Amino acid sequence: MNYLIHIIIIIQIYILLTLSFNLLLGYSNLFSLAHAAFYGLGAYTASLLMLNLNFNYFFTIPIIIIAASLFSIIVASPSIKLKGDYFMLSTMAFQILIFNIFNNWIELTRGPYGISGIPSPSILGYQLSGPYIYCLFISIVTLISITIFYRLHKSLFGLFLKSIRDDEMLSISLAKPTYKLKIISFVIAGIFASIAGSLYATYISYIDPTIFSLEESVFIMTAVVVGGSGNLKGPLIGTLFIITIPEILRFIGFPDSIAANLRQIIYAITLILVMRYRPQGLVGEYKLE
Amino acid sequence: MLELNEITKSFGGIKAVTNVSMYFTEGKITALIGPNGAGKTTIFNLISGFISPDNGNIQYKNIDITHLSPWDRAKLGIGRTFQDNRAFSNLTVLENVVLATKNSWFENPLNNIINYKKSKLEEEKIREIAKKHIEFVGLSEKIDTKAENLSYGQQKLLAFARLMMNDAELLLLDEPTAGINPYMINEILLLIKKLVKEHKKTVILIEHNLKVVLNIADFLYFLEEGEVKTFGTPSNVLSDPLIKESYTGL
Repeated sequence: MNYLIHIIIIIQIYILLTLSFNLLLGYSNLFSLAHAAFYGLGAYTASLLMLNLNFNYFFTIPIIIIAASLFSIIVASPSIKLKGDYFMLSTMAFQILIFNIFNNWIELTRGPYGISGIPSPSILGYQLSGPYIYCLFISIVTLISITIFYRLHKSLFGLFLKSIRDDEMLSISLAKPTYKLKIISFVIAGIFASIAGSLYATYISYIDPTIFSLEESVFIMTAVVVGGSGNLKGPLIGTLFIITIPEILRFIGFPDSIAANLRQIIYAITLILVMRYRPQGLVGEYKLE
Repeated sequence: MLELNEITKSFGGIKAVTNVSMYFTEGKITALIGPNGAGKTTIFNLISGFISPDNGNIQYKNIDITHLSPWDRAKLGIGRTFQDNRAFSNLTVLENVVLATKNSWFENPLNNIINYKKSKLEEEKIREIAKKHIEFVGLSEKIDTKAENLSYGQQKLLAFARLMMNDAELLLLDEPTAGINPYMINEILLLIKKLVKEHKKTVILIEHNLKVVLNIADFLYFLEEGEVKTFGTPSNVLSDPLIKESYTGL
C-alpha cells in the first residue's frame, strides 16, 4: 500500500511540473528546456533554508516564489525575443548553467554528494511525515494547482496566450502585449516547477544535481508532448503514462538494470510515434509543428 | 486623421519607399494601388509599426506615432488585416473575436484566478459583444467552427469581426477581396461601406481589382517604385493615360 501511495505522490509532483510546462508549450509556444532547472531551484532553496536557517517549509514558499520569479525574468527577458530553436537553445544553456551550479558549488549545495536529511513540512509543530499524511498534503496542493490552471485555461488570459501560440504577429496587431504575456507565463511556470521541487525535496528528504538535469527537462517535455498540450487533460494523461510505464515494467518482472534502459527506449519510441502520427498528443488540443 | 511625412525606408540597399508623404481623411476610404513592389505593403507595415522608417515621421490624430510599438498603435485604434489571410487557426470563430477585446484587465493572470466570478461576468459581456460583431459580418452559423475550417472568404470576414471587436478606428485592409469569389467580393464591399457609414471607420486599402477601387474608394494613391506618382479621386487618377499605360497596360 505504501508503494501505491508513493506512486500517487510522485504522479502529483509531476502533475505540477507538466501543467506548468504546458502553460509554456501548449499556450505560449515556448519550447523551454529549462524546466528541470526551476524544479531544482525550488528543491535547493527549500532544502538550504530549512537545513541551514531552520526555516519552516511554509515560510520557504514566498522565498521560492520570489526566487523563481526573478530567475524566470532573467532567463525569459532575453530568450523570449529569440524564435523557435534559438529560444530552446538559450533555455538549454540556462539549464546546463544551473545544473553546473548545483554540481560544483560544493560549499553551498554539497555538489554531487547531494543534500540529505531534509525535514518534512510541519504545521504548528506537527510533522507532515509518513506517506499517508504527506499524500493528503500534496493532494491539497495539487488540487489548488489544478484549480489555478483550470481558471487560467478557461480565462481570457489563457486565450490571449493561445493567440500568441497561433499567430504572434496577428496577436500584436490586436494590441496584445505579447512580450509581457510570455514573460508572465514563464514566471508562472517557473513558480509551479519550483514548488514541485520543494515538495519533492521534503518528501524524499534527499536531493542531488542529477535529479534536475537536462534529461529531466526532456522527461517533463516528453510527458506533455505524449499526453498533449493546450488543455489540462493532455499533461494529466501524459504524466500518468510516463510515470506508470516503469512501474508496469517492474511488475512484468524485468530486472532494474534492464527496465531502466527499456524505459528510455519506450519513451523514445512513443515520442517518435506521437510526433509522427498524432502531433497533438493523445488528448491534446495543439498540434506541434 | 493620419499623415505620413517624407517617409523613406530601405531594406539592405533597396529603397522600398522613398520620400513618401500621404494624408488620409477621417471617415473616408482611400485606396493604394500600384504594381507589385511599389511599396504598398511596406507603407502598411510602417503605419502599423511592424517596421520603422529610416527617415520621416507618422502622425495619427496629431500624435507622433513614428517610434511607437505595433501594440501601442493598435491600442490607439490602428487595426490591420494581412495579405496572407491570418487567423488563430486552432481557435473557434467566437474565440478569435473575443480575444480581440481591448480590455486589458484580463492581461493580469491574478485577476483571472482570484476574481474568477467577476472575470466570468466580464467575459460574458465581451462574448455578447463579440457575437454581435460575428452576426454583423454574417458568420453566426460558424460561431463554434475552428478558424482553420473556414473558407478563405470567411476568414476575411472573420478578420473584419476581429477589427471591430478591437475597436479599431483606422482600418488597414491589405487586399481584402483577393482570392475570393465574386459573390463574396460584393459581401465584403458592402461590409466595408457599412463600416465607414454606420461605424464611422476610416479605411485605407490595398487593392489590385480596379473595379473594387472605383466602387468604394473616395481617394486613390498610385504608387510606383516606392514613390507616390498620383493622388486624387479614383476616376481622375484612373483616367490618367500614363497610369493606364503603366498599371493596366491599356
